Amino acid sequence: MPKFLRIDMTNQQLKWEECPEKYLPLGGRALTSQFVLDEVPATCHPLGEFNKIVIAPGLLSGTNAPSSGRLSVGAKSPLTGGIKESNAGGICSQKIANLDIKAIVVEGLPKEKGFWMVKISPEGAEILPADDLAGKGTYEVTEILLERYGKKVGVITIGPAGEMLLAGAGVTNNDSDGNSSRYAGRGGLGAVMGSKGLKAIVVDAPKTFDVPVKDKERFSAAAKKFAKILMDHPVCGEGLPAFGTNVLMNIINEAGTLPVRNFSNNGRFDLANNVGGETLAEVAKARGGKATHACHPGCVMRCSNVYPMPDGKVCSPIEYETAWCFGPNLEISDLDVVAKLNYLCNDIGLDTIEMGVALGVLMDAGVIPFGDAAAAIKALEEVGQGTPAGRILGNGSVFVGKAYGVTRVPAVKGQGIPAYDPRSCKGNGVTYATTPMGGDHTAGYAVTSNILKVGGFVDPTKAEGQVDLSRNLQIATAAVDATGLCLFVAFAVLDNPEGLPTVVEMLNAQYGLSLTVDNVVELGQSILKVEREFNAKAGFTKADDRLPEFFYTNKLAPHGTTFDISDEELDTVFNF
Amino acid sequence: MSIELRVYTGLEKYTGTRYGELIKLELAEGTTIRELIEQYKIPEQEVFSSLVNGLHKSLDTVLQDGDRVALFPPVGGG
Repeated sequence: MPKFLRIDMTNQQLKWEECPEKYLPLGGRALTSQFVLDEVPATCHPLGEFNKIVIAPGLLSGTNAPSSGRLSVGAKSPLTGGIKESNAGGICSQKIANLDIKAIVVEGLPKEKGFWMVKISPEGAEILPADDLAGKGTYEVTEILLERYGKKVGVITIGPAGEMLLAGAGVTNNDSDGNSSRYAGRGGLGAVMGSKGLKAIVVDAPKTFDVPVKDKERFSAAAKKFAKILMDHPVCGEGLPAFGTNVLMNIINEAGTLPVRNFSNNGRFDLANNVGGETLAEVAKARGGKATHACHPGCVMRCSNVYPMPDGKVCSPIEYETAWCFGPNLEISDLDVVAKLNYLCNDIGLDTIEMGVALGVLMDAGVIPFGDAAAAIKALEEVGQGTPAGRILGNGSVFVGKAYGVTRVPAVKGQGIPAYDPRSCKGNGVTYATTPMGGDHTAGYAVTSNILKVGGFVDPTKAEGQVDLSRNLQIATAAVDATGLCLFVAFAVLDNPEGLPTVVEMLNAQYGLSLTVDNVVELGQSILKVEREFNAKAGFTKADDRLPEFFYTNKLAPHGTTFDISDEELDTVFNF
Repeated sequence: MSIELRVYTGLEKYTGTRYGELIKLELAEGTTIRELIEQYKIPEQEVFSSLVNGLHKSLDTVLQDGDRVALFPPVGGG
């Protein structure tokens, strides 16, 4: 029977329990969000004793379903004050699933200050002192724990930012190469883990793809078919493996919806190509790195990369949103600087997007100049050092705006908006405004139909059709996030009518169910309802489902657009 | 008429430029995007997105003086 592992930080005790029946059909985001609604009082302090972190593999994680090793981390967010599910690659999801663990729950607060770690293996789990790891960056912590427990273990950890309870802190885990860079970055969940005095969870599982499957033959046929569906799709099979997510830089720039200089009124950056995916692939290969790389075993899209830096270290990966937030958003056009800022975030334990948006606000305040790479690096280093200026930055974009009197703060529900300007990519604007997660591009990635011509086409500069587009994508995304499949399977699933039925077939074969495609849609809808219910209890109203006012009033060049989707229309997104 | 052309993500092998490099062209009035890509022998099926002044346009689109044209194969991420 699948189990819950409860880590009680107050009494320093571990408890195994049978997975409650209610959670058996759930996984990933479906499980974490339901659990947070059930067990976390919505009005609690996110860093107090009543918040809980729940870590769950997806429903298909730990099988050989292609690209199914995503991990969900949930809690009440110290950044947004609402519910959060943050999703990561890396090797831990498959390992946790292969230990027959449905979820790891971290609860309570330690009675005395200090840091601990938990080691989980087929033999059981134990809680151990970890004061020797406190204050260390995630790369060093991971290296120490791989040395101590074996090169193949998974390490979930936080950096100094999480220990300092900064709202920009993420939770990371490692890839197969030991790189501690696979982040559940968004929403400050690293601070929640830090508040509980939990520095690391080591997951030692010898198996990766051996989760019990009810009907092996049927599952294997469906998994093979799904891999073919992915590989036959031009984005999943060609674009992503060749250049990774940063291939987006140039098309978003050409489409005139690239946020530049803290979401100024110009949607293009002349030097975007210098930090784009083609340049990244060329430099990475020339320096002996990799232009294609899997973030977890069994991924067929392999959109990650390995970028060797001039100092001899490697940054793996550099994602589009990170290249954008440390590049065009700061008017920086040097990929080595982007890599350095990315690496610093990984090491200090910070969400790259939140830090890039926050640095943009800091530059808008005139504290440091736009384009000043050395000043940006120093500002991030200060977060790790815990200086007063560093703590301001480390608490994210809204906090920086308040500290320095900036009103142009691109954030929704307290969370920084990523790499697609909502004025000329209006479908994503609807998602930013309305998703229970706060400013999040993945929650309903309308860039697909707006810019990439996947899943149909909806003109990104017009208001028409964007609410329906965002609604359908938010439902589909919630369901995908429950399966443990990487969200990027959506490119193929949206275009190939066989896609979703094949996902359903894998679920049915694994669990002996008879789900239909409609059931999967219902699952997505129910997840969103659960998350909205938590946020309502936490005090969120429809007034929180809005973009910052400058998007409604300042026109974005080259298309001369504002965000013009009415409040009434935004309030219909969850009419289901 | 003068137009600006930029090709990306592998299509540059047909133009002999670097990805994203500005190509300034003088074209006859009435030239379409399809005729432009034929000029470089870019196989039509490899052009997944053709943007004119930042907006998706079909290959039959007649180009105008001063247009900024960008061509892409299938790309995606997130």
